[in-house]
Amino acid sequence: MGDADRWTRLQALFHAIAALPESERASRLVAATRDDPTVGDDVRAMLAQDAAGASLLDRGVARTAEALLHSGADGPLPTETFGPYRVTALLGEGGMGVVYLGVRDDLDARAAIKILRDAWLSPARRERFASEQRTLAHLKHPGIAQLYDAGALPDGTPWFVMELVEGTALTDYCTRRELGLRERLRIVRDVCGAVQFAHAHAVIHRDIKPSNILVTEEGSPKLLDFGISKQLAGTDAPIDQTRSGMRLLTPAYSAPEQIRGAPVGAHTDVYSLGVLLYELLTGRLPFELSDRTPSEAATILLTEEVPRPSSVAGRVAASRAAWEDLDVLILTAMHRDAGRRYPTVEALARDLDHFLAGEPLEARPDSRRYRAAMFIRRHRLPVLAASVAVVVIGLVTTFYTVRLRLARDLAVAESERTQRIQAYMLQLFQGGDDAAGPADSLRVTTLLELGAREARALDGEPAVQADLYQTLGGIYQQLGRMDRADSLLTLAYARQRAIHGDGSREVAGALVALGRLRIDQARMDEAEFAVRAGLARLRRERPIDVAAVSGALALLGKALREAGKYDASIAVLDSAVALRGAADTATKGYATALTELASTHFQAGHYAIADSLDHLVLPLERRLHGPGHPLVAEILLSLGAIQFDQGSYPQAETRDREALALIQAWYGHDHPATASALTMLGRALVYQRKDTAAVSALQEALRIQERVFGPIHPRVASAVNELGNLAVAQDRLEDAEGHFRRMVEIYRAVYHDDHYLIGIALSNLASVFSARKEYPRAEATYRDALARFTAALGPEHSNTAIARIKLGRTLLRERRFAEAVVESEAGYRILGKQSEPGTSFLQAARKDIAAAYDTLGQPERGRLYRSEWERIAAQSAKKN
Amino acid sequence: MPAEPSQTDFPIDADPPTLDGLFTLAYEELRRLAATVRRSDPSATISPTALVNEAWLKLAASPHLAPTSRLHFKRIAARAMRQILVEAARRRNATKRGGGKIALVTFDDDIDAGVDSAGELLALDAALEGLARVSPRQAAMVESRFFAGLDIPETAELLGVSEATVLRDWRAAKAWLAVELQRVG
Repeated sequence: MGDADRWTRLQALFHAIAALPESERASRLVAATRDDPTVGDDVRAMLAQDAAGASLLDRGVARTAEALLHSGADGPLPTETFGPYRVTALLGEGGMGVVYLGVRDDLDARAAIKILRDAWLSPARRERFASEQRTLAHLKHPGIAQLYDAGALPDGTPWFVMELVEGTALTDYCTRRELGLRERLRIVRDVCGAVQFAHAHAVIHRDIKPSNILVTEEGSPKLLDFGISKQLAGTDAPIDQTRSGMRLLTPAYSAPEQIRGAPVGAHTDVYSLGVLLYELLTGRLPFELSDRTPSEAATILLTEEVPRPSSVAGRVAASRAAWEDLDVLILTAMHRDAGRRYPTVEALARDLDHFLAGEPLEARPDSRRYRAAMFIRRHRLPVLAASVAVVVIGLVTTFYTVRLRLARDLAVAESERTQRIQAYMLQLFQGGDDAAGPADSLRVTTLLELGAREARALDGEPAVQADLYQTLGGIYQQLGRMDRADSLLTLAYARQRAIHGDGSREVAGALVALGRLRIDQARMDEAEFAVRAGLARLRRERPIDVAAVSGALALLGKALREAGKYDASIAVLDSAVALRGAADTATKGYATALTELASTHFQAGHYAIADSLDHLVLPLERRLHGPGHPLVAEILLSLGAIQFDQGSYPQAETRDREALALIQAWYGHDHPATASALTMLGRALVYQRKDTAAVSALQEALRIQERVFGPIHPRVASAVNELGNLAVAQDRLEDAEGHFRRMVEIYRAVYHDDHYLIGIALSNLASVFSARKEYPRAEATYRDALARFTAALGPEHSNTAIARIKLGRTLLRERRFAEAVVESEAGYRILGKQSEPGTSFLQAARKDIAAAYDTLGQPERGRLYRSEWERIAAQSAKKN
Repeated sequence: MPAEPSQTDFPIDADPPTLDGLFTLAYEELRRLAATVRRSDPSATISPTALVNEAWLKLAASPHLAPTSRLHFKRIAARAMRQILVEAARRRNATKRGGGKIALVTFDDDIDAGVDSAGELLALDAALEGLARVSPRQAAMVESRFFAGLDIPETAELLGVSEATVLRDWRAAKAWLAVELQRVG
């Protein structure tokens, strides 16, 4: 054929002539192709073939495929020698390669030769073949078929020679020999030894099933097919994301995390060994899947309970007591939640040994101990006398911090009255007997109740009383007791008005304090209203109190930011910075305004601006407070958060560690501020999959927060949330569910029911349901969270957008494509305005929308999103 | 900055399969399925369309391979199916010519039919290469329809054109390929 133009002409003529009556065709064709008669010839031939309709394309490929594939031919080999081995017979073929029988004449030894056919077809195939060969080279164990030799043919076809295992598939072996319980268990015990050996060399098999275990005449099992095994670089290494080991799984032996596509590990092989035991001892698989479609099978595996092995008819004979232990052993090995399985193959093997020796299983007392530990952890009170003193010190420090901030914001720092209140409060906190009494009498709430009662008695000094209400309200707010804070601050506002008059500076202060509370209650409209009202009064004061006005502006900026009104927030904060900066840049108020401005830019996704603002504040705070001050640490944490949100987790970790060191030096190791820094650090570690370090940081944070604030407090919830995230990453979904449920409970107890943080907790809980493929439940929970975000934060807030993107993904998994597109696109549109294009949520949305459009028959639109996804993925790959 | 809880990121999500990864997956799964059919029942029919559908069903049950769409997968599977048949045909031809030093093959009676099919398939492969040079879209259309059994609406959706366009393009491409096949044969 010539070029594209000629082809265009051929087609046009072909269609035109074919549309004519038979009689007119010949003459028209000649007339149309006088310039180039060969065109006429070609069109004539095409018309003839079109009329005959008998070519290969008309007949279809089925018969051809039949003839080509059916005779089992894998064709001739270009050579018959591979290293010292000579090919003598074809043993079999699978998806990847062909296996031949090889003989080594000098040693009279036989071996299996595995060849990667059509290696040139794809690099991924070559990589997978090479990976199996590398794995085998590491693993020299009597239970694993050995690698002998490897190389490539002149045409590049790679091959390797391995130990020829002449044996029978495990299940057949047991059935044919009618083996009893103990003999079956001993073989599995040996298989465990081989798997354990592989794990010790950081290799996860991932495809353990009877057909991959051959048993020799002597009764020794050999583990085969490391074709999709996975080399773990180390426990703390990031997850290997190569897909070269990809294969469509046979669900029956696959662990739930494999079916979900979650990270695999030693626990994955433990699960498969559990299924193997189940099948060997009961004669059937845990689930009847033969009549199911693959997706039904997956659903069953992920949702249904495994019938107890002892309840299966036709099981191997054993005593009832023995079956009780076997139930525990098998069901522990194949627990749906990876965190509840035997932690290692070695632990499983130990229990097999215990069983064979007639000893009690480790899995049994462990589960009881596990429950007891859970119980104690949930109900523990900070009762140790030694910790009481620490609690008091922590509280007094908290008190100072709060007190100073309130003093600043109320702009009454200079008054004698304040000093009296401060002295009074200090006395209150230090009055308790450190050494005596049950913990509850020293809990901060008890002290505050005492303070409130004392304040009520101060009728003779109404102004001091009003200030005290305001101070106490602020402390309650800081402690998360919003109901008490609300009534005290409302009372303070009423009193200040009665005493000083509506337009007074005191009422302005009370309004600002009330506005600060409303922000924490996520009642953003009211917050904005209160702060604006206070601000209007402050602006009327002469001379103008720059500190008070800019402080209120900073607060207003925060309220607007929390409501998702980033542009308005930036405008207000810019004016606060300008106002305060014009007077004096070396003030705390200026630093505060800058910090708030940085936060808004951060939330709005303007990372570069946020970063430079934080870098501006950092030396300022150092100069104002000294290099080791907690406020400096706060800026460092903020810089860490910027790195975190941009996906630079190691850099975030560095910042968090710097901050943590300062905070620990300032407050000690047991302070809530230390706990907050540990939580931030833990979060950065989770994302780098430095799991061990993450666990210890987060559990330490939780321990501190629980001891200081009791089990029900938002700061406890923060630590619990990150532990939940870690559990999700480790695929311990039951643990994750427990964490997120606790988070919901805490927020419900602490906040109004419409607080957006309840939405955060619900959304994270929904992610667990979705990971478990419990889509209807996930959908309902996401919708609940979404309603809360919309009501509390507005439809344009980033949290609302993220929840819609997540809901979209759940709908997509349910194959409700049209609905999925509506949610994902809406979330994408909103979030796209506020965040950097590389944000993981936006990338996820692009993928989901593309997939949905493809299936909805609008591939053009799908392509748009997919190419955007690819462009950004390539950019970030380049950056890293 | 307080450690304010935020919504969890999506679970650490491996990249979607690359084109090469997906091709490998389809290629090996199709070969595995074909080998299974052959082993379990030597007289069973091996229909490429059925193999591709079977492979898709298994893929659809593996959520970790989302967001691969059905049509996207079938498009890749068509290419893999073509490669499998082309390789089989090449080997069959080599056997006929006695090109190999060793042939570890038990031939059935249908050897001649096999060799004829091999020649015809290789001719089609070469003709498709030619078509791809002047009209990649039509070559993709033929590949998807012939090797993976995509129907007209699916093909239209895949290529983003109307069904009428598919029908026209398919008819012309088919006629031209038939001419080429006859010229070689």
